[in-house]
Amino acid sequence: MKKSMKCIGLFIVSVLMLAIAGCGNDKSENASDSAGSGDKTDFPSKAITMISPTSAGGGTDATARALAADVEKHLGQSIGVVNKPGGSGSVGMTEGANAKPDGYTVTMVIAELTMLEHMGVSTLNQDQMKAVAMINLDPAALTVPADAPYDTLEEFIDYAKEHPGELQVGNAGTGSIWHVAAESLAKNADIELNHVPFEGAAPAVTALVGGHVDAVTVSPAEVKTQLDAGNLKTLAIMSDKRSDIIPDVPTFTEAGLESETIATWRGITVPNDTPDEIVTILQDAFLKAADEEGFKKFMSSNGLGIELKKADEFNAFMDENYDYYKEMFAELGLGNK
Amino acid sequence: MSLLMEGIVNILHWDVLLFLTFGTLLGIIIGSLPGLTSTMGVALMLPLTFGMDAVTGILLLIGVYFGSVYGGSLTAILINTPGTPASAATVIDGYPLTQKGKAQKALTVSTLSCAIGGLVSVIVLILVAPQLANFALKFSAPESFALALFGLSIVSSIAGDSLVKGLMAGTLGLLIASIGLDPIGGFPRFTFGMSELSSGINFIPIMIGLFAASEAFKSMEDIFTENKVKVTIDKVKLKWLEFKGLIGTILRSAGIGTFTGMVPGAGADIAAFVAYNEAKRFAKNKEEFGKGDLRGVAAPEAAGNSVTGGAMIPLLTLGIPGDAVTAVLLGALMVQGLQPGPMLFESNGPIVYTLFVGMLLANVLLLVFGLLGIRLFTKVLLIPQTILTPLILMLCVVGAYSLGNNYFDIVVMFIAGVVGYFFKRFKIPASPVILGLILGPMLESNFRRALVMSQGDLSIFYTRPITVVLLVIAVITLFTPLFSKKLFKKS
Repeated sequence: MKKSMKCIGLFIVSVLMLAIAGCGNDKSENASDSAGSGDKTDFPSKAITMISPTSAGGGTDATARALAADVEKHLGQSIGVVNKPGGSGSVGMTEGANAKPDGYTVTMVIAELTMLEHMGVSTLNQDQMKAVAMINLDPAALTVPADAPYDTLEEFIDYAKEHPGELQVGNAGTGSIWHVAAESLAKNADIELNHVPFEGAAPAVTALVGGHVDAVTVSPAEVKTQLDAGNLKTLAIMSDKRSDIIPDVPTFTEAGLESETIATWRGITVPNDTPDEIVTILQDAFLKAADEEGFKKFMSSNGLGIELKKADEFNAFMDENYDYYKEMFAELGLGNK
Repeated sequence: MSLLMEGIVNILHWDVLLFLTFGTLLGIIIGSLPGLTSTMGVALMLPLTFGMDAVTGILLLIGVYFGSVYGGSLTAILINTPGTPASAATVIDGYPLTQKGKAQKALTVSTLSCAIGGLVSVIVLILVAPQLANFALKFSAPESFALALFGLSIVSSIAGDSLVKGLMAGTLGLLIASIGLDPIGGFPRFTFGMSELSSGINFIPIMIGLFAASEAFKSMEDIFTENKVKVTIDKVKLKWLEFKGLIGTILRSAGIGTFTGMVPGAGADIAAFVAYNEAKRFAKNKEEFGKGDLRGVAAPEAAGNSVTGGAMIPLLTLGIPGDAVTAVLLGALMVQGLQPGPMLFESNGPIVYTLFVGMLLANVLLLVFGLLGIRLFTKVLLIPQTILTPLILMLCVVGAYSLGNNYFDIVVMFIAGVVGYFFKRFKIPASPVILGLILGPMLESNFRRALVMSQGDLSIFYTRPITVVLLVIAVITLFTPLFSKKLFKKS
């Protein structure tokens, strides 16, 4: 009796451990013995790994998992999402850039890919990867408490001019895209703001709801719950077109202030030497999947905007981003070079 | 009340019950494996719930969440390996109890405390959630800084025999926590140009190394020196009188846990340490703490699990996720078309109350599975050391790796293991290191954020009531051991 219990216990433990170990690395290890990269017709012939450069539980991770579920239908192979968080996404994205260029390792890249080099965190940039498709884009949205004394962007700017340096604007961390957004607002409107960094957008929004800061410049997805509850109002978004999530809110330009599009985005890339025919197969599968009802429902209920771009457009978009942030970071004296 | 009855009726569907039970069991397994956290468990199950109806899907996730917080303490008590950060405080008294042969008793106390703590917090959630909702909003940077400082002052009570050694260990934790991009300026500190270090060292591999790997190294030594410690398992059950003595501790800890759960940014790990400290503060006889006191197991366990109900309060009433797990749950609720916030209770009353009943049931399931499983779980101790030790080491490696699928974390784990081994040799306590690692970032970033908000004016720390109260408690906690020693000497 006792002996059999022991055996069962041991068996369970070892199976569990194998299972966990398996989750992590089987696909990336298997990728090394693939031989069929020359023949386009048999791609994909085995499971694909998608690297998510953030930890489990965030918006990027959830997007990656929801997308993977739908891409599987179009590729006929399963996709395992592997989280490789750290270094503002540089750890996971660097690994994605250095993976075997056979299409079996794809990476969900985030806006930081075009910023890391300027931040001085990593030497990684978009040139070290090949674009497959862009999936999502969420612009910065200037959001204030519902009972704030300003209802438009213009009134906000006027208030800031009368009270220089008093308005506290919460962002998702120094050097984060939402910090750049607030700095760009201050620069374009020629106003002085007090920038308060938080560990991510959610705590900044919580502080705004609690009345501890006066405004945030984060994506609509991150304030949607509070907008619906009537606690907050969004004055304008930093994009050249209105957001599907909050269609009533004007763009910055419409509200009377010229502004660049400042947005976070997510897309798919593969290592640089991946054959073009494989990139095309992946691009078509990902774009089709992003058009599936299940994925669209997931994105809209979470307030995430879908923005699809093909490989070449995505590539050009990333290059533009890279140049803009280079200028912006130098101007703001951010970055640590 | 009628809503509650409706909730009970709604939950009595076989598929809801099945998934809740499955989730709870899965949660216990995930929790007991070091490196797999509650957040990962819930996030991995999230896509599965997209195809389910709202109640079934959310309760599956809640089962995983509640189960994983409990599961972490099983390995903490049995093999000195906290399965989740929430059970880092349980190790302090839980493992000594196992070494004394009282593993079954410790597990019984842990299970009962968890279930009671969880139930209390869910009842608080049901009865007074709307009234407590705005409390979470009162917490800003100065309050969080004061809470972190209070948490850190607990070093003095978990330091063990030597306060100096405890403070050294705590400082080491704080120093390690300062590695990485600084939280306000974004400047890299002590990273030596390594991108792995730029986001800081994750404290979970360090925790696994300090507690589990170091223990494995030590028992390897024991195997070779034939200095075998015979592990016994007393069959003595927990007596009613013993349990009665714990009720006060459990209820107090449940209160602490529920409160901590409501505070944004503070989770089960902090609650468990605070509850441990308070259990010791209120105890007449402090001698046994750290050497295997049942109160030292009951307090962190009850507090850790009651964080679950507390964290639901701002999530459901305000739509504010206080930590990573509730952030995933927020996403799950929104996919199901349930918009958390003040309107949720009005527009979706029946579903909310069904979730409440499900949460109560999840805690009852924990109790049932826990109590039924105790004999089975303790069988782990019967595995000969020559087999168990390599198994634990394997678990350490897998646990550290699975956290971020990163080999660097395994290296960190092994270094922490070696350091932990020498800690044991020189009788330096390991828990203060973990405390420093958990609270260091919270302390620093909130201190500096508060100063950014006040534009450098220090008055922000003594003009806000909650901040002042917490800071005073912190100072008292830190200096109590010094004064009580002096008083003892005089008398």
